[in-house]
Amino acid sequence: MHGRRRQHEREPTADEKVQAQQRVERYCALSTQVAELKAANTYTVEALSLTKQLLEQNTELHSVWNYRRQIFMHLDSWQDMDARQQALERELAFLLEIITKNIKSYWMWNHRVWALGALPRPEWQRELGLVAKLLALDARNYHGWNYRRFVVAHLRAAREDAGAVDEQEFAFTTEQITRDCANHAAWHNRSKLLPAILAQRGEPQAVLQAETDLILNAIYTDPDDQNAWLYYDWLLDIQTSDTDRVRLLRGK
Amino acid sequence: MEPTDPRSTLLADKHVEFIKRLDKKHDELEYWMTEHLRVSGIYWGLVALFLLDKPAALDHQQIVTYILGCQNSDGGFGGHTNHDSHLLYTMSAVQVLLMLGALDQIDTKRVTDYVVGLQRDGMVSGDEWGEQDTRFAFIAVAILSQLGTLEQLDTQGIVDYVRSAMNYDGGFGSGPGGESHAAQVYTCLACLAILGQLHVVDRERLSGWLAERQLKCGGLNGRPQKLEDVCYSWWVLSSLEILGRVHWVDRQKLCGFILSAQDEERGGIADRPGDVPDVYHTCFGMAGLSLAGFKGYALKPVDPVYCMPKDIVERAGLGSWTDKVPESWRE
Repeated sequence: MHGRRRQHEREPTADEKVQAQQRVERYCALSTQVAELKAANTYTVEALSLTKQLLEQNTELHSVWNYRRQIFMHLDSWQDMDARQQALERELAFLLEIITKNIKSYWMWNHRVWALGALPRPEWQRELGLVAKLLALDARNYHGWNYRRFVVAHLRAAREDAGAVDEQEFAFTTEQITRDCANHAAWHNRSKLLPAILAQRGEPQAVLQAETDLILNAIYTDPDDQNAWLYYDWLLDIQTSDTDRVRLLRGK
Repeated sequence: MEPTDPRSTLLADKHVEFIKRLDKKHDELEYWMTEHLRVSGIYWGLVALFLLDKPAALDHQQIVTYILGCQNSDGGFGGHTNHDSHLLYTMSAVQVLLMLGALDQIDTKRVTDYVVGLQRDGMVSGDEWGEQDTRFAFIAVAILSQLGTLEQLDTQGIVDYVRSAMNYDGGFGSGPGGESHAAQVYTCLACLAILGQLHVVDRERLSGWLAERQLKCGGLNGRPQKLEDVCYSWWVLSSLEILGRVHWVDRQKLCGFILSAQDEERGGIADRPGDVPDVYHTCFGMAGLSLAGFKGYALKPVDPVYCMPKDIVERAGLGSWTDKVPESWRE
């Protein structure tokens, strides 16, 4: 629905019409078959395979993602932790294959979150690496950043030293900003990390000074970037006021 | 007769024909691949038609029958017959039935129980699989307000979640930690408006952030440095309308942009000029034109919280959110 250029259409040839009709028939046949299996609560390996074929063609079928999850959970192999681990790792690989088809698909990201939650031994560090690669391709990807925060939250929970994770993330945003000081997603993420960083470093004033220098640099680079001014304004605010809003943004 | 210039003329008749043709495209793969959101497609089409004051262009009875057939045993609605329930489609279903005066044909309690059942620890999920998003906070509140059962929801939990999605720039994201995004801003403002909690908003910063969405071409984007898109004509403008600051954008330039995204051959409005039109952008382009006070056609006024014609919203007793806007906002 977004970003598709209009083409000046000539009338399709008879052959093209036949091919188009066949594509419709094939898609509808598969879609109907999966719907019938779902309605009959069919939880088999064959049904799993059919859902995969359909989802490869259309990542937006949330009912079919739901059904696919239900099939997984009903198979006998689900109770065997090693089998489940293998199956879900294959599932994560499958998602990675199709993610470029529609990088903004809510349903695909939700399915990945489900798979990570269901894995006996999730590899959060690997997920962090994957999402870093994705963000290298599309630095503003909304789902990517949300997913990164989800992964980081798990890393924090698993480590004794949650502060180290925060520092790592803070450094990641510094890297992003150094590459492109107009990366608003990185500045935003930084705004969420800064209160924790201030709390855990020995010299918060030094942190704030460094932060001020960083944002002023961004402002000099592009004075028309309104968001840089907003960030600077916020930095001043958290140092000087104690309003409800400031407390809220400091996470209190 | 002078040829109509799509840049300054709303091609109303073409848009009506475009919407009427939507359900006839059985030979197009696209038609079948969007089956899962048919219910929302109907809502978008109807809003556009109602705002054009051509509500009878689609068969109401046929639509009502179809929508009712999309309700599942859990009380929620799917996007098409035999599709799983989700708040997104339950919202579109309820809005369509409200617009067509057929809300009495559903069991209010069943739908209410479905929505309330999705609330856990204060926040509402989109469906049983647990995705949380400020869109769903708004949808839950909007659905129950339309059904008259809002008191059954823990609204404090919803407000807390929305507040946790507020950012340094005054904007709102999809949830705690989410970057400010105009569509999420709309859902948060609309949610807070219905609940009479707009005082938690940083009105000045947010109005400024929203006004900055306008680009030189007159179009609006959803986040800094992103492309203009007709649908932001709605998300941004409705947000500004709720904040009482719609005059902070150049409305004439915006109308010019929306009109330039019309498809003068097929009808319909696209995300930006030269792109393929679709019913979603036709709806939000039309709603944007209405909010912007476009003078070239007698569009019906649209309610910025519910994205439905104002007269319908008022007749349903839902217009009172305006009474709860903070005193200091009324200039």
